[in-house]
Amino acid sequence: MTWSLIQVHAQDTIPIPLKIKVGLEVSGPAIYYSDKNIFNEEGYISVDLDEKRSVVLAAGYLNFKYSQYNYTYLNHGSFVRMGMDFNILKPDKSKGIYWAGIGLRYGLSRFNSETPSFEKDNYWGTVSSSIAQKTNWAHFAELTPGVRAEIFNHFSIGWSISVRMLLYSGTGKDLRPVYFPGFGNGTKTFSAGIGYYLVWNIPYKKINAILKKEAKEDNEDTNPNGTNDTNSTSGNGQQDNSIRH
Amino acid sequence: MRKFIPGSLLILLPGILLCLLSCTQGSCFEETECYVKASFYDNVTKTLHAPDSLTLYGLNNDSLIYNSTSGVQPALIPLNASTDNCTFVIMLNGITDTIEFRYNSSPHLISKECGYTFYHYLDTVFPIKHHAIKDIFISNYTVTNLNVENIRIFY
Repeated sequence: MTWSLIQVHAQDTIPIPLKIKVGLEVSGPAIYYSDKNIFNEEGYISVDLDEKRSVVLAAGYLNFKYSQYNYTYLNHGSFVRMGMDFNILKPDKSKGIYWAGIGLRYGLSRFNSETPSFEKDNYWGTVSSSIAQKTNWAHFAELTPGVRAEIFNHFSIGWSISVRMLLYSGTGKDLRPVYFPGFGNGTKTFSAGIGYYLVWNIPYKKINAILKKEAKEDNEDTNPNGTNDTNSTSGNGQQDNSIRH
Repeated sequence: MRKFIPGSLLILLPGILLCLLSCTQGSCFEETECYVKASFYDNVTKTLHAPDSLTLYGLNNDSLIYNSTSGVQPALIPLNASTDNCTFVIMLNGITDTIEFRYNSSPHLISKECGYTFYHYLDTVFPIKHHAIKDIFISNYTVTNLNVENIRIFY
């Protein structure tokens, strides 16, 4: 005779609103206010899949000018990033209005870069040259931890740190982009940044998120012999039902 | 939320990070010159052998690169990026020779801070006169800012 055991728990749940979030990065325009050589604007839209996960699509535009004693560099173009956000807060803490977690993104950038002039001095004198404008596609990956908090109804603010890894610059090893949209300094394999966001939240569905029992409560379910007693009462004071077939 | 991430940390952390990111030094610390790195070898023993005296200068250029310098190993020879050939007068232990380089040059971005340099791709290197120099061997055709030997001069 074969016995199987099906255990049914009566679980605590909490209602969580799933949202469509539309975010705008605000430090780019602020930086442009003080430095007219770099204009970066980006925004994103994310859709909650459940209380933990969201899919994200971000897009932006960069116009970059850089000049120093021996060269001038221009770059302008746009980018998209797509990926997932993961909320590490438990549903009873996040309540659908707080978010602290990490995002994973794949980024694609299309840009036009140009070096109107550069100079190189050596034993033979000064050589002046330029590099004509060229369109390139670059690929990168991004890890972006951050926080968001809803401060008014349907309105959140927050920030994220970004660590990006260049996968392909599209320009070859000799003429890597000094700076390109969505990534930053293209002469390095890794780049970092920080973004401040204003977010408009649009609830579209409500779910009941299951509250997992704390480990301490699990221990209370363990009998003195160290084995789980399937007929015991749960830590939440609710009766577990065991059905034997 | 405050239980998990203190409010002060929420404000301070991005500010500190922003400062760290913006305080990155903008100075160039990398080698920006792309010299031909020429090692000197004894033609009999085929081993590294620095000359007792080396004088080197570019043809039609008054400025000396080395002036009776002893123990040079390797010699750093600058090519002219605006032409595709360069000739140098070289005096090894008082004996004068002439070396010609033929090459192509192309721009290379070192870093945002350092800007551009020229990499050179050697085609041929040969002594015009064989007074002191017996042979020249190209060990690495690409002349970069890295410390890698490009030619071996046997004398």
